[in-house]
Amino acid sequence: MSLLSFIIATPLIAAIGLLFVPRGYSYLYQIIARGAAGITFLLSLGMFLFYPQMASGPGGFKFYQKVAWVESIGINYQVGVDGINVGLILMGAAVALAASFACWGINRRERDFYFLFLVMVGGILGAFASLDVFFFYFFHELALVPTFIMIGVWGRGEDRNYATFKITIYLTIGAMLALVGLVALYVQSGAQTFDMIELTNHVKENPIPVDQQKVIFPLLLFGFGILVSLWPLHTWAPVGYGAAPTPAAMLHAGVLKKFGLYGLIRLAIPMVPEGIRAWLEVFCFLALGNILYCGWVAMRQKDLNFLIGNSSVAHMGMAFIGIASLSLIGITGAVAIMVAHGLLAALSFGLSGYLYHEKGSVEISQLGGLLQKIPFIGVCLVIAMLAGCGVPGFANFAGEILVLFGAWESLPWFVVAGAWGALIIGAVYCLRAIRNILHGALSEENSQFNDASTLTTKFPFLVLVILLVIFGVYPRLLTDRVSQSVEPLINQANDTTAQIVAPSAALLGQNTPTAVRVDF
Amino acid sequence: MLTLAWIILFLPLLSALGIAFAAHKDQQLSAKISIGAIGSGFILSLILFINHLMTGSGSQEGAITWLQAAGLEIGFGVRIDSLSILMLLVVTGVGSLIHIYSQAYMQGDKSYSRYFGSLSLFTFSMLGIVLATDFVQMFIFWELVGVSSYLLIGFWFEKPSAADAAKKAFLSNRMGDFGFILGIIMIWGLAGSLNFTDLKEVFAANPEVLGTLATVAGLLVFCGAVGKSAQFPLHVWLPDAMEGPTPVSALIHAATMVAAGVYMLCRVYFVFSPDALTVISWIGGITALLAALMALQQDDIKRILAYSTLSQLGYMVMAVGVHAPAAAMFHLTTHAFFKALLFLGAGSVIYAVHHKQDIWQMGGLREKMPTTYWTFLLGTLALCGVFPLSGFFSKDAVLASAADTAHGGNGILFGIGVVVAALTTWYMLRLFFITFHGTARTKAAEDAKESPRVMSLPLIILAVASAIAGFLGIEGFASHGLGLEHHGAHAHATLAMAFSFLAVIFGASVAFALYWNAEADPIQRHLGGFSSILRNRFYIDEIYDFLILVTHETLSQIAAWMDRWVLSGLIVRGVHGGADLTGRALRMLQTGNIQTYAFLFVLGIAVIIYFVVGRNVL
Repeated sequence: MSLLSFIIATPLIAAIGLLFVPRGYSYLYQIIARGAAGITFLLSLGMFLFYPQMASGPGGFKFYQKVAWVESIGINYQVGVDGINVGLILMGAAVALAASFACWGINRRERDFYFLFLVMVGGILGAFASLDVFFFYFFHELALVPTFIMIGVWGRGEDRNYATFKITIYLTIGAMLALVGLVALYVQSGAQTFDMIELTNHVKENPIPVDQQKVIFPLLLFGFGILVSLWPLHTWAPVGYGAAPTPAAMLHAGVLKKFGLYGLIRLAIPMVPEGIRAWLEVFCFLALGNILYCGWVAMRQKDLNFLIGNSSVAHMGMAFIGIASLSLIGITGAVAIMVAHGLLAALSFGLSGYLYHEKGSVEISQLGGLLQKIPFIGVCLVIAMLAGCGVPGFANFAGEILVLFGAWESLPWFVVAGAWGALIIGAVYCLRAIRNILHGALSEENSQFNDASTLTTKFPFLVLVILLVIFGVYPRLLTDRVSQSVEPLINQANDTTAQIVAPSAALLGQNTPTAVRVDF
Repeated sequence: MLTLAWIILFLPLLSALGIAFAAHKDQQLSAKISIGAIGSGFILSLILFINHLMTGSGSQEGAITWLQAAGLEIGFGVRIDSLSILMLLVVTGVGSLIHIYSQAYMQGDKSYSRYFGSLSLFTFSMLGIVLATDFVQMFIFWELVGVSSYLLIGFWFEKPSAADAAKKAFLSNRMGDFGFILGIIMIWGLAGSLNFTDLKEVFAANPEVLGTLATVAGLLVFCGAVGKSAQFPLHVWLPDAMEGPTPVSALIHAATMVAAGVYMLCRVYFVFSPDALTVISWIGGITALLAALMALQQDDIKRILAYSTLSQLGYMVMAVGVHAPAAAMFHLTTHAFFKALLFLGAGSVIYAVHHKQDIWQMGGLREKMPTTYWTFLLGTLALCGVFPLSGFFSKDAVLASAADTAHGGNGILFGIGVVVAALTTWYMLRLFFITFHGTARTKAAEDAKESPRVMSLPLIILAVASAIAGFLGIEGFASHGLGLEHHGAHAHATLAMAFSFLAVIFGASVAFALYWNAEADPIQRHLGGFSSILRNRFYIDEIYDFLILVTHETLSQIAAWMDRWVLSGLIVRGVHGGADLTGRALRMLQTGNIQTYAFLFVLGIAVIIYFVVGRNVL
């Protein structure tokens, strides 16, 4: 069995094991959940560190494993990592570990909670590890359903039911659309397999006709896009995260949300590149909508959770732009942003959850001067906010700068200007949050706040901050792995284009469009 | 020698980390670590300097690749040439004195260790800019300098005004950086490299490499300097930044950080087209003039010095614009000495009168604080440009270049420069007379005592440096580092000298007539409305507040409204109403009923199988 299968199986086995623990041993549930998350994290860390030394299997994937399942229609359990998902899995495991230490205020039906939590973790890691479209989708659903239940049962605030309702509708519709797109890919490629490696190779030889690419890509874009909160289909995110219990918000906003971006990179870029080019203007416009519009919305928020929710939507725009650039630099940047933002979103929601647990509200106007009272949490919040507005030294900056450079190569200049403009807007709301929550005078009613004093309470924040800093100070740890694996995808995208477009262009006596640059 | 440069760069970082993680409970130890780091940095910089003089070596650099993908390679390294060595000496030299001074000035503050930790972080970031080999590396440290400045301005973050000032400084810098990074990306896109040495070669081989975008790219890069060096129209943050502790104002907002913009312009001087330089020179000239006018009517001792800093930075930027980067570096260096001296002197006064900053609450401090008095006088005269103090030489170098019309100079700019020189003498002597002469106007001023030795010693050292820096050949050293011909602006030196002499005499007579033994500002009576315009800094802050309100805030209000009522209201509810059946089915989910989820989940899988099997069968 591959190490990767152990990583996916550990939380799932722990979840099943949890069912055999009698009710009432809440301490034991916690230990099991934390232990499973810890083992998963250590294994993922090992996998990440030893990734360069390992031998490559089929399609350049490492830690590869395939178990035949329904051979007649080509469905197999097949997992493996390349440079793109090895970092995402490490990030997912780190967020899971942090989240397992951030379960404050879960004090009823604890066994159910930890069960769902572990299933969600297993699903997330499985989705990122799968090399089979069927399992890719299956694991995503496996992680998604517990999210809904966790919000519905352990959620907070008066809008909890509305939030559950909204997030469920949106994400189900998104997943369905993506499913239709995936099925269309399966059908139109004619490869008769769900195996991503074979599928990609098949398409390499026999590209999908341009007309069909133009239909399939929007299905994937909007399907996956809803899951990533693509503007203007993003409104589920702030509401949903506002109501979600802290660990669910950390896992979903941090990790699960990246599934859609991952799908676009893994499937859309090599298989329907012409579809992307045809829809490029729309794609860029929507992505700019994310970063500018949601940034402005974030500026108006009065509740810290909503501010973080909107800002996390805005950050997704950066990743979208990286993907739209269809350049090696830009997509490498997009993956780096996915990893960085995963850590950052988890950190921010964790901190907001801590404050909520302490006070019962994260209304910004009711906070103030907290840095004097809770220095540890305060410093972590300052770090989260600075990382969020793209200060160097944190992983986010490395991703953002790559996206900007990549976008400059192939997208119009105002996309670059808009994207960087977002970092100014980001700075406005991040610094306002610091000013209003942490700086200024400490009021009487806020002096009952307690700082995180034990190692267990500090632990989730430390894990995330340390990883953000490591990837920020030496981003090549991540980006060298990523760019190596993005390169074949980009090459395939360009080859496909040449293959489809060149013959017809030659026929018409035009110059072959070799340049990737697209002008609006 | 490169190893030395690496050590100089990383010592302050180690100090910051050491204070943050180990020494923060021990205040004295924190101060010692921080002082030790920058002090050793200064000694090592001296060794570098001497070695550089002895061997006469040109530039050396060593770098690692920090980030790379496809055609993008971002280096991280250290570069040693006369330009960076000069700046190293300024940053570590003036920095060391200010660190030592802080040890006494900040005594008793409950966050003493945090103060020294932040200072070390700042020093690290600043040295990163100085030693950078690569545009993006410079940008990274540029941002880190912004962050450490944010932390230090907001050092007393419980005070709303300090917290606001920190935020304002960071955001104004961000506005400038917006252009800076676009300029960097543009240059990379056209010239294909980010490394300064490579870029310089590319530009030397083909001056037209940027084509029609040359001026735009240059001006975008200049935006970075407009933010960091607080040039008009982004100058508004610097006076507010005086909310930080006074030694911080001396180090960051007078001697080093704000000079980073000028240093950057000199470092990448080769990218600027003649048109871009013309714009740069005008921005510098306008800043110099506006800030000098504003300084005339301020009452807060630190704010007067802040406006004076703005005005002098305008001089330096103007010097770059009139093709005289060496003169800019010269003025940067002398200004670092005398402005740090003036700020530390002001700190000494503020310390003595129990943290009052209004000059009208001081007076008659001459006998009570002799060391402060004499060093402050020397700093004032150096700033005014009185022979033979350092300011005289560097200001003349700037003015002479402005007068040199054959090499980018301009008669009007020269005129502005002379007027600013007169205004400088006027406001500085106003400050000086009101603070130190006349009679004590408050009880605190009456009881003032000279500051402790550890504070007055740096004053004396800086005073000596301000006095003699004009004779050290700094301009020639800098122009060697820039690889420029030391062109003949000195032909105009006599003209510049004559005019600036007249300007000083004029400014001094006005100040003497108005403020010698004055009890209140007579100018308000005479000028009335104009005086209050100056007092309110031409209402620029208010105009900005208004502009931000009507643009940014309105946009964000509209977006939030749309989000609430159109996107989530209409659309979502519309979808809800339209697909009522789906809605009903999904509404069951509110109960958290696991069977429902299982049902949906199976449904999803069924859809796949339907398609797959269906296709196989048909």
